[in-house]
Parts: sequence; structure tokens; C-alpha cells
Amino acid sequence: MTGLAGATKRGVTPPVATLGRVGLTRHVHRITAMELGERTSLEGGVLSVAVEEAEGFFTDPALASVTLSVTAPGASARIVKVLDAVEPRTKGPGGGGIFPGFVGPAEAQGDGTTHVLRGAAVVVAGYLPRAQEAVIDMSGPAADLCPLSKTVNLVVEFEPAEGAAWEDVDVALRLGSLRLAAHLAEAGLDVEPDEVDEPLDPEAAAGLPKVAALTNLQTQGPFKDVFVYGRSFAGEQPMVIDPGDVDDGAVVSGQYGHPSLKNPTYVHQNHPVAAALRARHGVDLCFAGIVISPEPVAMAGKEEISAAAARVCADAGFDAVIVTKEGGGNADADMALKMDALEDLGITAVGLFAEMSGIEGTGPPIVVPPERATAMVSTGNYDHRLTLPAVARAYGGERVALVDRPATDELELPTAVIYCSLSCLGWGRLRAVV
Amino acid sequence: MRVVHYINQFFAGVGGEDSAASGPESAPGAKGPGRKLAALLGADHEIVATVWCGDDYAVGDAGAVDEVLEFIRAAEPDLVVAGPAFTSGRYGLACARVVAAATAAGIPAVASMHPDNPGLDEAGTAPVVASGEVARSMGPSLATLGGAVVHLLAGDDLTADEGRIGRLPRRSVLDERNAATRAVDLVLARLAGDRDASEVPLPRFDQVTPAAPIADPSVVTVAFVTEGGLVPDANPGGLESARATRWLRYPIENLPGMAAGEWRSVHGGFSTVAANADPNRILPLDAARELEGEGRIGALMSEYFVTTGNGTSVANARKFGIEWATDMRRSGARAAILTAT
Repeated sequence: MTGLAGATKRGVTPPVATLGRVGLTRHVHRITAMELGERTSLEGGVLSVAVEEAEGFFTDPALASVTLSVTAPGASARIVKVLDAVEPRTKGPGGGGIFPGFVGPAEAQGDGTTHVLRGAAVVVAGYLPRAQEAVIDMSGPAADLCPLSKTVNLVVEFEPAEGAAWEDVDVALRLGSLRLAAHLAEAGLDVEPDEVDEPLDPEAAAGLPKVAALTNLQTQGPFKDVFVYGRSFAGEQPMVIDPGDVDDGAVVSGQYGHPSLKNPTYVHQNHPVAAALRARHGVDLCFAGIVISPEPVAMAGKEEISAAAARVCADAGFDAVIVTKEGGGNADADMALKMDALEDLGITAVGLFAEMSGIEGTGPPIVVPPERATAMVSTGNYDHRLTLPAVARAYGGERVALVDRPATDELELPTAVIYCSLSCLGWGRLRAVV
Repeated sequence: MRVVHYINQFFAGVGGEDSAASGPESAPGAKGPGRKLAALLGADHEIVATVWCGDDYAVGDAGAVDEVLEFIRAAEPDLVVAGPAFTSGRYGLACARVVAAATAAGIPAVASMHPDNPGLDEAGTAPVVASGEVARSMGPSLATLGGAVVHLLAGDDLTADEGRIGRLPRRSVLDERNAATRAVDLVLARLAGDRDASEVPLPRFDQVTPAAPIADPSVVTVAFVTEGGLVPDANPGGLESARATRWLRYPIENLPGMAAGEWRSVHGGFSTVAANADPNRILPLDAARELEGEGRIGALMSEYFVTTGNGTSVANARKFGIEWATDMRRSGARAAILTAT
């Protein structure tokens, strides 16, 4: 951990400081199309990608080769075996410190100017052990459920090198996709942005209730881990993190379980709860910051970390906290314990839960419900079935592992398989109702 | 209109626990509690047949519900009514499955059981109305059920006013606002003093009282169950790696332990490398055989039961538990070791 992260670990930072020391300005470039070519450039919303140069970011002893393709919203296309997705962002030549710990040095960023290629993503797809089948449809009914169905995607498919350890393949893919995303965004450095998001003014919200995000990260070892400033967050304590740092990619996903219930790097970069709180800052609340917390695997660890996370929130002076999770029923316990611990300290807690109520939606919706903090938002039913139409083209693999069918076929799948469809971080519009 | 009544072996007068393994049968007209129910239905409706089945058979046998449904179809009903099952778990599960199967087959159906009956979640989209806790409350329970039958046969939907219980199906829909925005709205509602605002009803879970300790383990048969997804290497039963909809059974008779290479965990929720290197660490057969050899436990059941506990719905998990308990009772096991991952 860096000095700043260490200093804020015990929650001693005043809440307004978590809005950013100076604050982050985002220069947003709207991407409407992407093409593979000779030179990387951005003009009129069209991102051109130099293929050889882009492939070069994946030069690694663990990888034999990569293949790049472009697929856009509305295409009759499906991406299967989706791993991580990253939004192209940079703070300057060479990344300027973006993705700290991977591309930039492992230290706090979170201020200055960050260029964002909104509407574009780098999506890595292919087989890794422990990764559960994850599907993105670029059109059809599932396209409304996934943030990466709305972006023009540079899909990275890969062949591992013979004899390479899977852990090394994972590392090479993560480093490659982050470096590529930073590199692509450099095309926007000298281009007039379509939109400029100025930092929030802490004074504008004086006297309003301080509302924060408590973001659980699933940390269960290789292929099910999340990285903060470049290091695994497993075994760490809950800590306050600057929302600007989260914007700058301080939280990177290597978590490939529970496709509908995971938070890829792309969603952390665009933290939906932070965005919703920002939108109301100075109106009816004060966006007071983000606390991140691991999800330990053992019950004693869950209890200890939940108590610690609630104390961090109390020390920071939060009036209310929105708690989010990553993962399946096991992670409901982290939610319930944290929400109850917050209420016990007099802090209003609201949790986002995917419901797991069976195909017919009649079973108990939550595996481990809170007892005292009962304010829950639904992100939809995990077990609800969808029929996905046949598509012309598939990326990421020939077959869909879960049903062992050709990836281009018409498929009946549970919502649980659609990437980010039950977004625990609150991206989606799905909810379950009677 | 024609009504068929489903009850268990006990209420059919066939026998108690000793007859719990008996298969389905049918007889014309009302039987047992059906006589009083028939009177409550009035002159316009008639119980044309009663179908009954032993509780263990109904819950423990894979084809039981289909057999029951055949008897029901033979009586050409306009509606199927099941119970009251009170708090009896196996009977409640059987009633729930029968009305779920009838509804799926296009025959309107309603069951009656206590709100705490674990069968409640198994009725699918078929309605269930409340009964009392025990058979002593048969009178008022039948009055509610009879009212519900008349209501349904008049073409009306059942609501809480007619005693309907259980979770109404929750459908996934797209809201105008995303979940993060709704969470902010919920925070503001709570901060403004609304203590009840929520989008998700709190589930009710049964508190299970543990069985009494076994006085002398050296004389009992012990069953092995695991949610660790441990199956023969080729996974012949196709056990799911997540969201399990089934459980499977495999023989372990005469095996000294679980040999590496012959067994494999298909569980999707943890790294299975260590488990596959020594499958005894998922299903500790090696240690159990030692205890058996030393005479500290009577015997191990000849098969173990397995499912995958990863994203499995509570409703399915509860159903598996009832089926395991039923099966163990029939096999003579009196204790079970459930290993979790």
C-alpha cells in the first residue's frame, strides 16, 4: 500500500478530503466507432487502432498470440468467456499515472485531468481456469442488461504459450489490457473533449447529510481477486479511498467468478454509486467518499472486517452508506453483517442485492438477509431465464461452456450468465417486482 | 364442477409412519378430511376422487409426482385441491409438488399448509392458502381451503383476503432508474424517517432445532453428504458447477478412501486443486473408515449424497435437505456428516 492509502486506512481522514485534494477533472471524448488500421488516432468520435502496436502490449512469455477484433452495439454478435473489461483512460503520455500499480506508479492519483474515451472498451475473452462462463450480446434482449453491450469493444482473444502457468497468462492479460487502454486514450490528449466534468465543490454541500459508498471487493485468490494500487486486496483492512483514485483505475478486477455479479474494472472506473451520489451532491446530500472492503471467505473474517468497515464509516462522520457486494450468496453475508453493523452505529445503511429466488421467482430472494438494516435495493433475479437469439458472429470461444452449445446458437440462459446484468455496483436497471 | 383431492397415507386411513413408503392410490369420492371439505363446497361442486400417497414415497421417489398426476388426470378434474398439510414437511412438500405439477399441466390447483411449512416454496406459481399448525385446527383450515376452492372455481384469483400465503412470483423488469440511483433515493427516504422503505421483502428462514446427540455412535449408521461438488472423475450425472438444480448419489461401499484421479470436484466457487489432489478432504472417507474400523461408529451408509453449493437457491437447498433426510430415514441412517466448502 502507498503512504496515502496507509494513512487513510484507519479512517482518520476527514470526509470532505475524500472528495479529492484538488479534485479530478474528466475530459470526456465520446466514441461512436472504432476501426483497426495502421495508426492510433481519434477523429470525429472514430477511434482508429494500430493493430500491431496494440498487439505489442501483450508480448509476454505466457502468451503465444492475441487476436484483436471490433464489435459495436447493434451487431449480431456475442462475446463469450468474458474476463475483464477496461475503459480507455489516460492522464498524459505513457498514461501519466493512470492504473496506479500497473501502468502508473503505485501511489495516489485522483487529481489533475483524466481523458476518458467514453463509449469504448477493451474486452478480454477466452478460457481461464475458475472463470465462470460469461456472455455479452451486442444486440437482442440481453443487450439492455450489460454495460459492455453499449460500448464499441476492442475484443482481445488469446492463445496461451505452451506450458505457461495459467496465473502468468492472467497477469499478462491484465497488464496488456490496462496498458492498451491507457495507450488508446492517448489518442484523445490533443483532441477537444465533448464534455468536461469539473471536480465537486465540497462547500456546495455544507450542512447536507453525508452519504458514502461502501464497496465490497471479492478477494478469493487467483482468478477471483481484486487489485488495489496494483496489489491483491485479500487480507487487507477496509479503507477510505479517494473517488478520483477509483476513477483513475486504482481498483482493477481479476475476479472471474459469478459473471452477472462481478464488477469489472470498467464498472469500478465508472463506479455507479459514486456517479449517482455525485449527481445529487449539493442538491439533497453531500457525496462523502468511498470505503473499499475485502470479502473474506471465513465467517470470523467477515464479522471482523464488517465491524472494522462500520467503524471506518463512523470515524469519517458518514450519516448514510450505500453498501454493495461482489459475488453470490456467500457475499450476501458480507452485506448483511456490514449493514447491521452500520445501523448499530447509527448510520443509515442501504444495500444492493441480486435476488436468487429460483426460475419462478417464488423462493427466498436473499441468502443471508440483514436483521436490523432492512433497506434493500433489488438488481433483478439471478435465476430468471432469457432466450438469446442466434448471432452471426461470436468472439472468445467456439462454444458456451455452461450449456455446451455453439456460441452463435439461440440460447436459453439464466440472467446469472449475462455479464454484469445484476450489477452489484448498481449500473443496471433490472429489478425484481411482484 | 369436478374436484380431485390429494391427501397423504395418514389422512387416507392407510396408516402412519409404517406406511409412509406406500405408493399412490385413488378411490372415487371424498375420503378423510375430504368429507368435510365436500360439504363446504356446496351443491355446485363435487369431490369426484381422492388420490393419496405415502409421504416418503411422494417426496423420495423421482417419479412419484407424475404417478400421482396420472391418477388425478384419470378423474378428469376441473380443479385439484391438496392438504391441509399443517406443518408436516414431507406432506407439505408433496402437496406443493402435486399442485405445481397440476398447474403446469393446465389444471387449476390449490394447496393448504401452515406458512412455516418448507413445502411452501415448492408450489411454483400454484396458490397456497394458510392452514393451522396441527391437525387439531382441521375445521378452520378446511373452511379457508373450501372458500379458496369456491373462489377459484368462480374464476377469481386468490389473494391474501382468501388466506393466500407464500411469496408471489417476483419477475425481473427494467426500471426507469438504475439501481445506484434507486439506492440514493432509498437512502434519502430512510433519512427522511421512512423506516420501512425497501424493494426486497425480508425472507423468513426456519430456525432448525438440532436433533438430540446420539447416545451411542458405535451402533448407528452414519450418512455422508457434501455440497463440495465431488463426483466420479467423468461427472456421469452432469452435476452443475453452480446453481445446482439436483443432487446425486454414488456408492462408496468397500472403498477405503476417495482416491485421487477417480474423483473430482466440479464446484465453481473455490479452487479445486487441493480437493482434487486428495478428495478425502472434501469427503473424509479415509478418516471415517478408521473410526468404523475402531468400532467408534457403527457403519457408513453405502452411498454418499452430493450437490454443489454455489449460487444454489435456498428453495432448492431446502428441497435437497428434505429429500436427503427422507432417504436416510429409509436407509436406516441415524446421523449425517455434511461437509461444506
